[in-house]
Amino acid sequence: MIREFNPWPTVIFICLACLALLFLAPTVGVLLSSIKTTRDIALGQLWAWPETFFLGNFAEVVNNPAVHRYMINTILVAVPATAASIALGILAGYVFAKLPFRTSELLFLAMISGMFFPPQVILIPLFRLFNSMGLIDTLWPIIIVHTALGIPICTLLMRNFFATVPNALREAAILEGASEWQVLTRVALPLSLPALAVLATLQFTWIWNDFLWPLIFTNSDEKRTIMIGIVNLRGQYTVAWGVQGALSLIASIPTLMVFLFFQRYFIKGMTMGAVKG
Amino acid sequence: MADIELRNVSKHFGEAEIINGVDFKAGHGEFIVFVGPSGCGKSTLLRLITGLDQVSGGQILIGGEDVTRLRPSQRGVAMVFQSYALFPHLSVAENIGFGLRLAKLPKAEIKQRVRETARILRVEDLLDRKPRQLSGGQRQRVAIGRSIIRNPKVFLFDEPLSNLDAALRVLMRLEIARLHKRLGTTMIYVTHDQTEAMTLADRIVVINRGRIEQIGSPINLYDAPANRFVAGFIGSPAMNFVELSRREGDCYLGASDQGADALLPQFTGEAAVLGVRPEHVMLADADMADLRATVEIVEKLGSETMVYLQTKAMDTPLTMRAPPESRLAPGERVSLRFERGHIHVFDHEGATISTR
Amino acid sequence: MERSTGYWRVALLALPVTVFAVFIVWPLFSSFYYSFTDWNGFNPDYDFVGFTNYAKIITDKLFLNAVINTVIWMLAAILLPTALGLALALLIDSRVPGGALFKSIFYLPICLSAVVVGQIWIWIYQPDWGLLNTVIAQVTGDHPRYAWLAKPDTALGSVIVAWSWQQTGLSMVIFLAGLTSIPGDLLEVCEIEGANVWQRTRIVVIPLLTPATVVVVALSVINSLKGFDILYIMTGGGPFHSSDTLAMHMYNESFKKYLMGYGSAISVVLFLIALTVIRIYFRELRRVDEIYG
Repeated sequence: MIREFNPWPTVIFICLACLALLFLAPTVGVLLSSIKTTRDIALGQLWAWPETFFLGNFAEVVNNPAVHRYMINTILVAVPATAASIALGILAGYVFAKLPFRTSELLFLAMISGMFFPPQVILIPLFRLFNSMGLIDTLWPIIIVHTALGIPICTLLMRNFFATVPNALREAAILEGASEWQVLTRVALPLSLPALAVLATLQFTWIWNDFLWPLIFTNSDEKRTIMIGIVNLRGQYTVAWGVQGALSLIASIPTLMVFLFFQRYFIKGMTMGAVKG
Repeated sequence: MADIELRNVSKHFGEAEIINGVDFKAGHGEFIVFVGPSGCGKSTLLRLITGLDQVSGGQILIGGEDVTRLRPSQRGVAMVFQSYALFPHLSVAENIGFGLRLAKLPKAEIKQRVRETARILRVEDLLDRKPRQLSGGQRQRVAIGRSIIRNPKVFLFDEPLSNLDAALRVLMRLEIARLHKRLGTTMIYVTHDQTEAMTLADRIVVINRGRIEQIGSPINLYDAPANRFVAGFIGSPAMNFVELSRREGDCYLGASDQGADALLPQFTGEAAVLGVRPEHVMLADADMADLRATVEIVEKLGSETMVYLQTKAMDTPLTMRAPPESRLAPGERVSLRFERGHIHVFDHEGATISTR
Repeated sequence: MERSTGYWRVALLALPVTVFAVFIVWPLFSSFYYSFTDWNGFNPDYDFVGFTNYAKIITDKLFLNAVINTVIWMLAAILLPTALGLALALLIDSRVPGGALFKSIFYLPICLSAVVVGQIWIWIYQPDWGLLNTVIAQVTGDHPRYAWLAKPDTALGSVIVAWSWQQTGLSMVIFLAGLTSIPGDLLEVCEIEGANVWQRTRIVVIPLLTPATVVVVALSVINSLKGFDILYIMTGGGPFHSSDTLAMHMYNESFKKYLMGYGSAISVVLFLIALTVIRIYFRELRRVDEIYG
C-alpha cells in the first residue's frame, strides 16, 4: 500500500514545537532564576544552562516566617471561600435546573450576569460596608466577597450539569419517598462530580491568585495573602531576583497541584459545562 | 451511471475482522440493498465503498475503474447519512450546493442547479431556511438533494430512514423508489429493516458477521433462502424453525424423544432443522396433521390474524398466519399441517438442503 | 415529612440569593449613590454634590486617556488570545504527535497568578539582562538596553503580550473541546464532497466552532474587564498614564487620592460599558442558540 508522502504532520509538529518553546521560555526563566545566585543573574547569566543547582534562594524563602504567614492566610481564605461558593452554587443551580418557576429564568440570568461585571464596580460600597462593620484588615471580607463573586459561575455550571441529570431519576426518587434535599444530595450531586472538580479548580485558582481584594481589604503585613506578599517582599529582596523567582514558584505550587489533580475532570467538565451550556 | 464491483474486500481493525473477503457486483442502475443485523458489517462495507475507511485487502471498482486507492471525492460517489449530516450554519440552498461551491463553479450556475434539484425534491420553498427549522422528512430531502446535485455515478444511503417515524418512513421509502426510477443511477442502500429491503431492492445482499450470506431478488430470498440465517432474517413475522430428531432411521419433529410428535419419514440423514413460514402453517384434519398444538395467544390485526401456538416439538411458540375471520381462541387444541412445497430443510450447519 | 416544591424552592434559594443580593446587587446600586457624593473613604460623613463627579469626568483628560487605553486593551486582550488559541487548537487537533504535551504546555500559564506572570514578564522586558533584549542583541549584535515597560510607547503593548501569553491556553482548551463536539459525519461529508483542508476549515470547522467562540469571547471580555492585577503589577498604569485603563484610573482616584465619590462615578461608567458588552453578547448568544441549539 503506497501512499503519497504527506509533509503536513511534520510541518505542523515543527510549528507547534517552536511555539511551545516560546510559550515555555518565560516559565523556564523563572525556574532558572530560582536556582541561580543573584551574582550570576546580574552578570547576564540568567538564560544560560546552570552548572550547579543553587538552593539558597529556596532556603531563604522557606525560612522566611513572613512567607509562612502569607501562605496560611491564603489557605484560610481560599479553602472556605471555594467551598462556600460551590455550596451556594449547588443550591441555586439545583432549583434552576430541576425546580423552575415562572420567573426563575429571569432570576437565573440576573445572577449569572454578575460574573460579567468588573469587580471595581462594587469595590467602593463594599469597602465602606466592611469598614463600618470593623472588618477591614481581617480575612473575613476577602472570604465573603470571593464567596459572593463565585455564585454566578458556580450556579451556571451546576445548573448546566444538573440539567443533564434525567428528570425521571428525580421523579423516581420522589416516588420512592425521597425529599428534594435527598434527591439533591443522593442523586444529583453524585452524578455531578466532574462539575465539582471544575468548580473547585476554577474557584481555588482564582481565589488563590487574586490580588485586588486582599489589596483593598488588608493593610497590615499580618493579614496579607501570598500574592500581595510577593509584591511586598520585592522591596525586601530588591535585587535578589533568584529569591523572587523561588518565591513565585512556591506561591504557584498549590494551584498547579490542584490543576494536575483535577485535570482529567477539568477538561471533560469544560466540554460539558461550557460548550454545551 | 456505473457498475460497482467488490473483489475479495476485507477490513479489520486491529485483531477484529469486520469484513471477510466479500465478492459482489452491482450492475448499471441497479438498486442494491445491504441488509443484516446491527454490527454485521454492512455500514462498514458502505464506508469502504465511499473511501471514508480504507480496505485492509481486496479491490473496489466503480465503472470498471479501480478506485481502491482514490480519495472519497475522486470516486464519484455521493452518500446520504443516517443523521443527514446537514451543516447547521448553512441554509438549505447552501447545503444542497455545498459540493458545487467546493468545486468553485460559477455562482449563477450553482444557483440554477440548486433550484433545479430543490424542485425535484419539492423543497423550493425552504431554500433560505436553516436545517434546524426543517422537519425530519424535509431534512432527509435536503440531504438527498446535496447528494444528487453533483450527478454522482453511485448513490449510497446509510440507514437514511431510521430517524423518521413510521408513517413518514413509508412515504420517504416511496420517494426514494421514485427517485431511483427517475435518475436511473446505481444505488446502494444499507438498512437493518427487512421491509425496506424487500420493498426497495432490485437485489438484496444479506450480510452477517462480515460475510455475504446470500444475494438475490427479494422474492428469490423469500422463497428460496440459501440458509437458515437468511430464512430467519427475511420475512415478518419470522419463519418458524422446528428441530428434527431421529430414531431408528425415522425422522421426528422436535429435539428430544419425548417432544417428538409426528413422523416425517421422507427426510434424509442430513436434515437437522425444518423451517416453515407462518402463512404455510394451516389447520388440518387429524389424519392429515403433521403436529398437534394448543392456541396460546391470538392477535387480531384486522387484515389478518396471527396465532401463536404451543407445541411439544418447539420451545418457542409456533406462529401461524390465519385469515381475519379466524375464530380460534386461546386454549383450543388444533391439528396443523405444513404446506407441502414450502417446507425448508436445513442441515446442521444451517445450509438449505431442499425445499419441499 | 411531605413538603411542597414551593417550600424547597425558597429553602434552597434563600442563602445564595441573599448573599448575592447583599454583596453584589446592593453594592452595585450603592455605586450609583456614592457617585453623587464627595465621600473621601474615611470620614463617615459626606455631602451630595449632584452631577459634579460626572462633570469632572467629561473634563478629565486622564479619564479620556483611560477610556482609549481600555478600548485598546480590551480589543487586543480579546482578539489576540482568541485568534492564537484557535490556531493552536486547530494545529493540535490535526492529530499531531505529542498533542497532549503541547496542550499542557500552552495551558500551563493559566495556572499562574497575575503577580507571577507579571514578575516573569518584568524580567523578560528587563533592559539589561531581560530575555527580549538578550535575543535582540544576539540577532542584531547590538544590545538595545531598551526599557520596554518604562517607555510610554511600549508599556501597554508589552503588558498585552504578557496577558495574551497567559490567556491563550484557556481559549485553546475551549476550542479543542468545541472541535471534539463537531459531529464526525459532517467532516465526512467534506471528504466525500471533495473539500480541501483549507475549505474544510474555513467553510465548515470554524463556523461550527461558533458556540465555542461565543464562550471564548465571553470569557475574554470578562477577564479583560477584570484585567487590573497584571497592569497594576507590571506598570501601575504608567509611565505617564500610558497604560492607565478605567479600572486602574478608578483605583488610583479612589484609593490613592481618596476621591471615592469620583471613583464611584468612574465605576458607574465602567458598569455601563460592561452592560453594553453584555447586551451584545446575549443577543449573539440567542442567535447562535437558534442555529446550533
